[in-house]
Amino acid sequence: MLEIKNLQARVEDKEILRGVDLTVKAGEVHAIMGPNGSGKSTLAHVLAGREGYEITGGQVLFEGKDLLALKPEDRARAGIFLAFQYPVEIAGVNNTYFLKAALNAVRKSKGEEELDAMDFLELVKAKLKPLKMDESMLQRSVNEGFSGGEKKKNEVLQMAVLEPKLAILDETDSGLDIDALKVVADGVNALKRKDRGFLLVTHYQRLLDYIVPDYVHVLAQGRIVKSGGKELAKELEQKGYGWIPGAEKKEAAV
Amino acid sequence: MNSTEVKNNYLSVFSDWEKTALTKDPFWIRETREKALSYFEKSGFPSSKDEAWKYTDLDAFYKIPFALTGEGQTKAAVSAELKFLGFDTSKANLMVFVNGHLSKSLSSFEDSHGIKVRSLIESLSNGPLKRYFIEILPFENRPFVSLNYAYFTDGLFLHVPEGKQLEKPVHLVYLSDNSGKPTQSHLRNLILMEEGSRATVVEHYWGNNLNPYFTNVVTKVSLDKDASLDHTKIQQESELATHIGVLAARQKENSRLAARVFSFGGGLGRSEVETVLAEKRAEVALDGLTLSTGKQHLDIRTFVDHLSPACKSAQAFKAVADKSGTAVFDGQVLVRENAQKTDASQSNKNLELSKDAKIYSKPQLTIYADDVKCSHGSATGQLDEEAIFYFQSRGISREEARRTLVYAFAEEMVGKIQNDYVKGPVGLMVQRWMEEEIGKKS
Ligand SMILES: Nc1ncnc2c1ncn2[C@@H]1O[C@H](COP(=O)(O)OP(=O)(O)OP(=O)(O)O)[C@@H](O)[C@H]1O
Ligand SMILES: [Mg+2]
Repeated sequence: MLEIKNLQARVEDKEILRGVDLTVKAGEVHAIMGPNGSGKSTLAHVLAGREGYEITGGQVLFEGKDLLALKPEDRARAGIFLAFQYPVEIAGVNNTYFLKAALNAVRKSKGEEELDAMDFLELVKAKLKPLKMDESMLQRSVNEGFSGGEKKKNEVLQMAVLEPKLAILDETDSGLDIDALKVVADGVNALKRKDRGFLLVTHYQRLLDYIVPDYVHVLAQGRIVKSGGKELAKELEQKGYGWIPGAEKKEAAV
Repeated sequence: MNSTEVKNNYLSVFSDWEKTALTKDPFWIRETREKALSYFEKSGFPSSKDEAWKYTDLDAFYKIPFALTGEGQTKAAVSAELKFLGFDTSKANLMVFVNGHLSKSLSSFEDSHGIKVRSLIESLSNGPLKRYFIEILPFENRPFVSLNYAYFTDGLFLHVPEGKQLEKPVHLVYLSDNSGKPTQSHLRNLILMEEGSRATVVEHYWGNNLNPYFTNVVTKVSLDKDASLDHTKIQQESELATHIGVLAARQKENSRLAARVFSFGGGLGRSEVETVLAEKRAEVALDGLTLSTGKQHLDIRTFVDHLSPACKSAQAFKAVADKSGTAVFDGQVLVRENAQKTDASQSNKNLELSKDAKIYSKPQLTIYADDVKCSHGSATGQLDEEAIFYFQSRGISREEARRTLVYAFAEEMVGKIQNDYVKGPVGLMVQRWMEEEIGKKS
């Protein structure tokens, strides 16, 4: 469903992605690990269509179509979902309003009928429950004043409501307490389906105990330098990244 | 024309205009008109060197030959259109003015319980009004105010006696006729609130005329002890209009004034609000929202004079400027020596939506008393690109994201409106502005 071929991107003069190759098939769960600053969030942002990155080479196909040619909203409507590492606070915009506008925009693009307020509320309440989120969160401004963990849960709630084809979760586990991690993982697992792919960016093996990946990749200095099965995450947990060719710490330039 | 030519024109047409248009003026009114005109003759129009007019460019105004006309006509289906705007006029005292003259056929208002809701010009023959007419806002050094004194035709006279409460708000609608000729109206409103009285007034300047016109208005408010006035000005003139208006109030002990200004219309629009907190514990809240787009230039100027101790003033103004629109906030608070225990705050927040949009913000506090609580702040920013991307990443179009964010910014000022008669319609105007100016839903 997603084919990334030799993707290169930079911000201003700084090369960040330097030839990423990755293929995600429907039904698969891929984990991406890697040192801080290696380009994981950049990859996620480029896939979601964030402005400010210059694509200098390569291509990305989503269901066979050129993903990079689409506007961000059209990617979302086509079924791409990014759970942000740092969800954005939006003062003055009600969480329910936001969710409903999002769902209806996606439904409309698929030629489905828009949901009215009543039907939407019913739907969203059903999605809140397994996430153990309080209904009062719906009445607040989007992410405003939410705790770190609440923000991450709100991302998972949005994902559950939008039911994307490909979900990219950028460190959704970071900042969650042990119980919340379990709740969020259950939320993700509940969404697993034959026709849905997942790209999980994480620093911790712990998440992968709950959401078992089919593949684990190491992204270092803008490239995927190693790929393996779920046991690779365990190895990384023990040995760090230093032993992988291409992921060694560079000597500081003198 | 340039400013001198326009000035000379106002001076030369006066005697003819006065003879034909206003035979019912009492003598003292005629006297003030002439006195005001002679002040105008001395001052001329403001120059851009004048600090108070620094941001307001009048060149476009001078170029248009606005005619002084008699009673105007409007084909507008006023009541249907007000309904479309969301007003339930059956719940108001509706007074419609066309070209500065009250249209009795379009209006529906009445005195009740000793409260007078009337045409000002008809009320002026009563002597006691003379004092209020001249006090509160002197015309010296204020060219447009002098012009208004010289040429005013009519407006509201509201008198609420001691302890009385006006049940229905007064909704003043000011229209200009659309006959093709540039016209002008000089309007005057006088609101007298006696001890402990209460009232709600809406000044609504409105038009989608295809010819330019000029509205020049002065509203004076006198608030006695414990009196309370809720005043909303909606400036929704046509884009071809020049609108200049002043609301000037004088407040006695423990009186309350809430005055809001919503500036959406006009090519050049300037609204001034000023109040003197003349006796202790008087309170004023001034709020406003300006939405400026196209080539609009919309000014807000406030002045709060803390003359007495323990008074409170709170100002909160917001502006959105898009395309080549300009928005100005020039707010002054003066706390005099005697005004101990003053509580004064002033806040101005602005959103610039395009690189050609201009925002000028000048909040000023001048404090001569030492035991006071004062604050002021001003911030101008752009829409947060990260927030826009967040919407987009959820399938919401960029346009709708921008619209929602701008609305969220503006909506706070609608939320501050206390009375339901105007709250809904103003909310709707803001919403429609977002829909028309910041792209359609996709
Ligand atoms: N807009 C930007 N301007 C300048 N540098 C940027 C920008 N965005 C990203 N970078 C740089 O690109 C590199 C990769 O950043 P990215 O956020 O993708 O890393 P990451 O792998 O997600 O790291 P972490 O594990 O800490 O989240 C970093 O060195 C970062 O500073
Ligand atoms: Mg990151």
